[in-house]
Amino acid sequence: MEALPSSFRDNSGFVFSHSGCVYRQVNRCYAEHYQNFMSSGLYQKLVEKHWLVSHEELTDGTITGTSDCYKILKPQQIPYISYPYEWSFSQLKDAAILTLRIQHQAMKHGFMLKDASAFNIQFLDARPVFIDTLSFEPYVEGRPWVAYKQFCQHFLAPLALMSYRDAELSKLMISHIDGIPLSLASKLLPLRTRLNYALAAHIHFHSKLQQDHADDAGTGTAARATAVTISAKGLTGVIESLAKVIEKLRWKMPDTEWGDYYQNTNYSSRADDEKHALVESFLQDIPDALNTVQDLGANTGEYSQIAARYCQLVLSQDIDPVAVEMNYRQRKSDGPSNILPLVQNLVSPTPAIGWGNAERSSFMERAHCDALLALALIHHLAISNNVPLDGIAAQFAELTKWLIIEFVPKSDSQVVRLLATREDIFPSYTREGFEQAFCQFFQIERAVPVPESERILYLMRTR
Amino acid sequence: MAKYLLSALFAISFSAPAAAYLDPGTGSMILQGIIAGIAVAGLTIKNYWYRIRAFFGKETPTSLLDDDDLPKKPEDS
Repeated sequence: MEALPSSFRDNSGFVFSHSGCVYRQVNRCYAEHYQNFMSSGLYQKLVEKHWLVSHEELTDGTITGTSDCYKILKPQQIPYISYPYEWSFSQLKDAAILTLRIQHQAMKHGFMLKDASAFNIQFLDARPVFIDTLSFEPYVEGRPWVAYKQFCQHFLAPLALMSYRDAELSKLMISHIDGIPLSLASKLLPLRTRLNYALAAHIHFHSKLQQDHADDAGTGTAARATAVTISAKGLTGVIESLAKVIEKLRWKMPDTEWGDYYQNTNYSSRADDEKHALVESFLQDIPDALNTVQDLGANTGEYSQIAARYCQLVLSQDIDPVAVEMNYRQRKSDGPSNILPLVQNLVSPTPAIGWGNAERSSFMERAHCDALLALALIHHLAISNNVPLDGIAAQFAELTKWLIIEFVPKSDSQVVRLLATREDIFPSYTREGFEQAFCQFFQIERAVPVPESERILYLMRTR
Repeated sequence: MAKYLLSALFAISFSAPAAAYLDPGTGSMILQGIIAGIAVAGLTIKNYWYRIRAFFGKETPTSLLDDDDLPKKPEDS
């Protein structure tokens, strides 16, 4: 049995995969904390609130752990692992508030979170859930929150940067796996954030204190600092202060290319209705049971909502953080909840990061699905980004068995717009060229022109 | 009042170090002490304010952390 590459930081246990399921080993050194956590009522409370994944303890001996094993847990399975740099502003904000609520609730039960990593949060049924059952340790009154710095780096700094500067700055977490360094956040945030007490304290002054005490290891100051004692009321005040500042952070969404896309398509209302009906009938034509559907270039998730009726989970991915934000807000308020909106740039998708490039996996490692929707997408890949058609076909064939794809020809006004300012170096970008490229990897099951438009919708199956 | 102010002043004192797998950071520990001290002092003043409000029949606002659910609808930005 081997721990997953992401599971090595905490010596309390590790996560491993066995026959397609994820399990967690509790190490002997954490046995007492685990038993206390389970019997304290906190686990029950958090699971009832859907804040923490539930688990069952394996007692049948079907899986034996390492020599250090105290217990093997089978947690509620998470169908798709996403990362904070793929979340929209509100997703990261909800994840941050959830972390603080768990810490607050834990303190009431005599526990505290020993880490506050954004990677400990996943999305299930359109809401965040905490997945690390071994993150709880007894709260000893007087001790400061050991994960405070990590919380500021993983949540407060990216949220403040997204709110005050640009939503794209959450991508800094790709180059900084343990959260955005506060010195960097402090440099990037505008001057006016120094006038906000909470941001001034938790980011700017925090960064300065970190720098001032960077070389304290082994000195009297460090010894005194590690012995700092804070009353429970004081610590609750710190948590409240973080919750308040995060709750107040807003993201003023810019008007982007896609933000109002559905209001600005070149479709007539009949074409739009027909396209909906076609996508639905193609999904019905797929004979296989669908677990996961990828909707790539999903915009605000209009077609994801159709797909959601035919599968367990739709990964509704788009390059535009505004569209993803709108998608998430709608899913949260109106459902369906089996859609997970994520920010994904297909022409440069999420890389694998961390130790050995293996701690957090790449988009391609996670993206395998039963069916893939690529609606109004091909021209962005082939023309805006010059990807050859057979390259697109090869990549889609690597990801899925079933493909629902829309071909948008050069005569379509959206492609005319893309080619208006550049030389047309795409002689093979035609219906024939498209079919030829895709037929190397797929078999065309259906090809139907979308009425009152220049476009053709295909249902394909890998060869 | 004196009791609250005293607890604010003693929000920072000293005890045995904690064991954890994360490095909590010297500066981060010191800062928590300072923010906690300010928070307790602020809470003391707030509590008096809430008592005055309660006298006039106004409810004490609940903490965001005590809510059972995440915010139902995200605010319009």
